Amino acid sequence: MDRLFPFGFPGATAFYLGLYVLTLVVHVLFMNYVLAGVGYLAVTAIGRRRDGDGLESVSIRSVLTDWMPFATSAAITAGVAPLLFVQILYKKNFYTANLLLFHRWMAILPLLIVGFYLLYLLKTDWIRRRSRTLLAIISIGALVCFAFTGLSWTENHLLSTDKGSCPGLYESGSMVYSHPQLLPRLGMWAVGAIPTMCVLVAWQLLVAQRRGRVVESGRTKHLAVAALTGILLTGACAGLYWLRMSEPAREAVTGPLAGPYFIAAIAGLAIQVIAWVSPDRRNDCQIGVLLALSAELLVTITGMTVVRETIRLAAVDLNPLYAQHADAAAKGGLIVFSVFLLVNVGLMGWCLRIVSRNGRQALHSRNSA
Amino acid sequence: MEVPYYPVNEFGPAIKGMVIGGLGIFHVFLAQFAIGGGMLMCYFQWLAQTGRCPLARTFLDGYFKVLVLISFVLGALTGVGMWFTTIQISPRTIGVMVDEFHWVWATEWTFFCLEVVAGYCFYRCGKNLADRSRMTLLVLYTVAAWFSLFWINGILSWQLTPGAWVENRGIWSGFFNPSFWPSLIFRTIVSLTIASLAACVVINTMKTLARDQQRELINRVSVCLAPMALMPVLGYWYLAVIPEDSRSWVQGGSAAMTMFMAMAVGASLLIGLYAVVGLIWKKLFISGATATLLLALAFGATAGGEFVREGVRKPFTIREYLYSNSIREDEVAYLRETGSVAADPFPLRDAAAYPDDQLRLGAKVFRFQCSVCHTIDGVNGLTHLTGTWTLAQKRMNIAQLQRTKPFMPPFAGNAEEVEAIVQYLDWENAGRPDEWEATHSPEALAEIEVWLDDAGTRPGTMAAKKPGSSENVRAIAKEAS
Repeated sequence: MDRLFPFGFPGATAFYLGLYVLTLVVHVLFMNYVLAGVGYLAVTAIGRRRDGDGLESVSIRSVLTDWMPFATSAAITAGVAPLLFVQILYKKNFYTANLLLFHRWMAILPLLIVGFYLLYLLKTDWIRRRSRTLLAIISIGALVCFAFTGLSWTENHLLSTDKGSCPGLYESGSMVYSHPQLLPRLGMWAVGAIPTMCVLVAWQLLVAQRRGRVVESGRTKHLAVAALTGILLTGACAGLYWLRMSEPAREAVTGPLAGPYFIAAIAGLAIQVIAWVSPDRRNDCQIGVLLALSAELLVTITGMTVVRETIRLAAVDLNPLYAQHADAAAKGGLIVFSVFLLVNVGLMGWCLRIVSRNGRQALHSRNSA
Repeated sequence: MEVPYYPVNEFGPAIKGMVIGGLGIFHVFLAQFAIGGGMLMCYFQWLAQTGRCPLARTFLDGYFKVLVLISFVLGALTGVGMWFTTIQISPRTIGVMVDEFHWVWATEWTFFCLEVVAGYCFYRCGKNLADRSRMTLLVLYTVAAWFSLFWINGILSWQLTPGAWVENRGIWSGFFNPSFWPSLIFRTIVSLTIASLAACVVINTMKTLARDQQRELINRVSVCLAPMALMPVLGYWYLAVIPEDSRSWVQGGSAAMTMFMAMAVGASLLIGLYAVVGLIWKKLFISGATATLLLALAFGATAGGEFVREGVRKPFTIREYLYSNSIREDEVAYLRETGSVAADPFPLRDAAAYPDDQLRLGAKVFRFQCSVCHTIDGVNGLTHLTGTWTLAQKRMNIAQLQRTKPFMPPFAGNAEEVEAIVQYLDWENAGRPDEWEATHSPEALAEIEVWLDDAGTRPGTMAAKKPGSSENVRAIAKEAS
């Protein structure tokens, strides 16, 4: 493929690939927040300090505890769209991997339910009155549930690109698929989630501050250290992953199909490092820095999502599916979808306006008082 | 022609329909609770802001928390679970549904997003909002939830009554199919009923309310049960528009289907009578235990109704297009020529357990054509169903499957495969002995060939159609072309 992703593919395939990546980026944003957020909650629960639990000031932990259930809901909802498009694009490969992993794969559903409820439990006053041990157990329990989901997705994804192993794996009856890329790939996505969480929490702390809430001192520095550590570890895992990638996959990533995205993703990471070092010195995250961080974060996630897809495309032959993609694209309903997408995005904006207007009014009356 | 093959999993003694049905019933119940809950909350918000019921606001905020904890977590994840489970049961069915209706699903997703955003805005800030803002958020939440039903209802009802889609493949012809409206209105009323009964349970748990206050709220809730009076009409409408053979299953043609139908009707009737006589007319107080019992009955009615909806599609999973065993109507004739499992790349997991290749072939045919609805000796086990048949009976009944039972699809393989599955069943009935003599009688195969040709490749339900019925005319036209 000698053209930039997704333009070298036939129209319908390019269209669905583009939509898939676009919707996956949104899902990844929320997913990163949840994965890294739950990790942070688990680590701080077993740490010495109780980081703002139930205190009047706003801390990273209190923000995460408060927003984690919503973020999980948003991640699951946002995950539905790429799940739809991946079925259109890869059909048999995707279904076969699901079937081969069977109960192991389906176990993510009860575990996600348990993890979700544990996050709600962390928000309750009940848990604040309990021992630190119980708090740690619940936090770690939630992390285990989400980490298992991440592991299963990675396993499922890698298996869906390995058609040759399918009959053998089926015959063996095993529901576990091991692959040399599994751990570095999982590690890269897991620690790569940390910078996203840090940027989003930084925004939340800034909003809280502007609404007159007291934010614990040193939080920005704390976030910067976490983000920089995350970026460093992502680089290490990505390096290991690169070493274990097949030659065609490496060529696809560095070639004209995904090369520019790959460079953009690395540049995005580099600029994030610079931006995080900057507020680290002043111990205060300004809006300009946050905007730059957010833009670069988006560039990195988009770039890496395209790279992820390119690696898959190097392993899966889409040629036989072009006709089916064209057939699917000829089905009606796109206009209806587009209209309702616009209407519903507008209505979601209206909902947010209602509550933010109320928040401003509450702040105004507090200031007046 | 390329027939897709997938790895087939077994669920022990359970059939796959039980797995998808079990999760489906649970998910439908929760989803309908969320939809009806939205409508109920709009009504209570209206009661609160117009001063008609000062307690309404207290109830509403408590009820909403329950709704969020149940619907936003269990409802959302069982929804995703339905998708994954359908892949486990019939990847080809979900593949066709996604290909045909992905923009409908994507549209539903936009409403799902709105539902989550409006719901969480109310959850986080509702208590501090003015009445008008609260009502706006609740209306948006309710509209979004109901529209998610609207969109998914079109896809689900299409599976049974694809309507003009069969000829023109038009998405809207399939979406607004004959059972779309009765199904949608019926489900809307069911949603309101489930939410109202759940509300009665919640009111009983609100210990800060005095008994009189609880009674007042329950009396208000009971108004939302009144639309149940329309259920018989809607049920009749639904039955009138579904295919004739499907209707016959629930009217005695299939004992299981008739019983589940009776269960759904009976449970709905009991709830309806209690609601109309006890709650609306006599204005009785309903205790937490009674409300829970009624809610359990509603679950039973949902279970019965969903089982019937899934069951009456037989022998299809998408009527007139895809059989329950994921073989398309037009592929049957092809597979009769080539053999159904000749191109199946997935080996048997226990190949060494079979004494010869004929039994291995039979086991593969069972896996590909039968295992979606049958087990060997568990639920709906073939050894139980065919154990008393003679060898000749087995050969004929399997070769002419759609005539043996009209809710079975036609056998989609060649004569050797019929003989192989017959021998496989005999071997299983004999207790899986170590030695088994393979049969290759040319006379038997020739006889099977005659039976296969005689039965043809059309479904039995079509063959049973009255001359001149629209479906039969279509079937004849299709064959002629």
